[in-house]
Amino acid sequence: MIPQDPREREVLAGEYVLGVLDPDQAREIETALATNEALRDAIAFWERKLHPLSSLAEPAKPPAEIWNAVEARIARPPKPSRNVWSASAPWRWSTGAFAAAAAALLLYVAVVPRTPVAPSTPLVAVLQSSQAHKAGWLAVLGPNGLSLTALTTEKPPAAHAWELWGIAPHATRPVPLGVIPATGEMRLAALPKGLSVGATLAISIEPPGGSPTGLPTGPVVYIGVLRST
Amino acid sequence: MDQLASLASPDVLVEAVARGSERALKRLYALESSRLYGIALRIVRRPEIAAEVLQDAFVQIWQNAKSFAPEKGAAAAWLTGIVRFRALDAVRRHGREILTGDPALGDTAVEPDALAKLDADADAQALRRCLETLEDNQRRSVLLAFIDGLSHVEIASRLSAPLGTVKSWVRRGLIALKGCLAP
Repeated sequence: MIPQDPREREVLAGEYVLGVLDPDQAREIETALATNEALRDAIAFWERKLHPLSSLAEPAKPPAEIWNAVEARIARPPKPSRNVWSASAPWRWSTGAFAAAAAALLLYVAVVPRTPVAPSTPLVAVLQSSQAHKAGWLAVLGPNGLSLTALTTEKPPAAHAWELWGIAPHATRPVPLGVIPATGEMRLAALPKGLSVGATLAISIEPPGGSPTGLPTGPVVYIGVLRST
Repeated sequence: MDQLASLASPDVLVEAVARGSERALKRLYALESSRLYGIALRIVRRPEIAAEVLQDAFVQIWQNAKSFAPEKGAAAAWLTGIVRFRALDAVRRHGREILTGDPALGDTAVEPDALAKLDADADAQALRRCLETLEDNQRRSVLLAFIDGLSHVEIASRLSAPLGTVKSWVRRGLIALKGCLAP
């Protein structure tokens, strides 16, 4: 749990920036960042204030081939991936690899027919696993509503289901969007107001019929932000 | 004259990278790679892994530059954060030959004048003043974690102290720092 108490939150954020938390705790923080602005600010505080300490590590000349490898890896048809990863603040803190998600998206852009009319331009979210930083789901919001497609073969834990949630930009509470069918395909005719560009989509582990409380009761396992393509 | 070549500030360059400029990324690499490689090497201790960290970090910088929020801090600190977290990840994945095999590990943190090498600028000196108000073991724990990337358990081993004691040093060190550094 991320503490509500400001002092405890400051300490936890400091421990996160120092890097002393165990991997499970660190992942819990990275998941919470999407919706917890106070935590983001606390982490930004420590990153900024402790930064001068990094000068105590002696600079060293890296092997020359590193730049060539970087150049080769970024030389892709760049436009779609960059637009989608014009990410909002939560992603700033993610330490994960984005290549898989970007590749999934390029695939989508290549196979889905595009409509030239601006209002019908679909919004796309690649939901990444909050543990392995792998692309798990592709969500496309177009004139015909939202379609969610599994990119992962992973199944929910036994006797549990996955539930989809939407979090509008600046909202503090997620809105339940329904339990994801076992087929890994889900369609919604429309999304509630506010769930458009910049909104976060998240998938949590819940009891078979979905969360009984209207708020996530299990851990968030996939998360992504709706972006224009 | 290449206009980008004359731009020396990481803040300006990260902004240009966010707009998709590969030349700005190359310039940023020329400007920052030695500093960042030094930070990675200090944490992972092995050149081939530090190289992997630096490469992955620059790919991530390319992909995430648009999410850099200048109002929350300088670009240099953002870059450092990316490299540190990638280095810490690498240590968790590869393990680390530490402590026994590497007598130099963590030496900076326990040198009495460790903080003398900090930059002369105002932020660094403010941090130094605050760190100097901490008890020795609190300060050493914070430095070992930040600079050498040591976990609680590794700090306990380095300082020959019980784990719970080390956790409390880190915690109390952070609380004292927060009080001293807060605007």
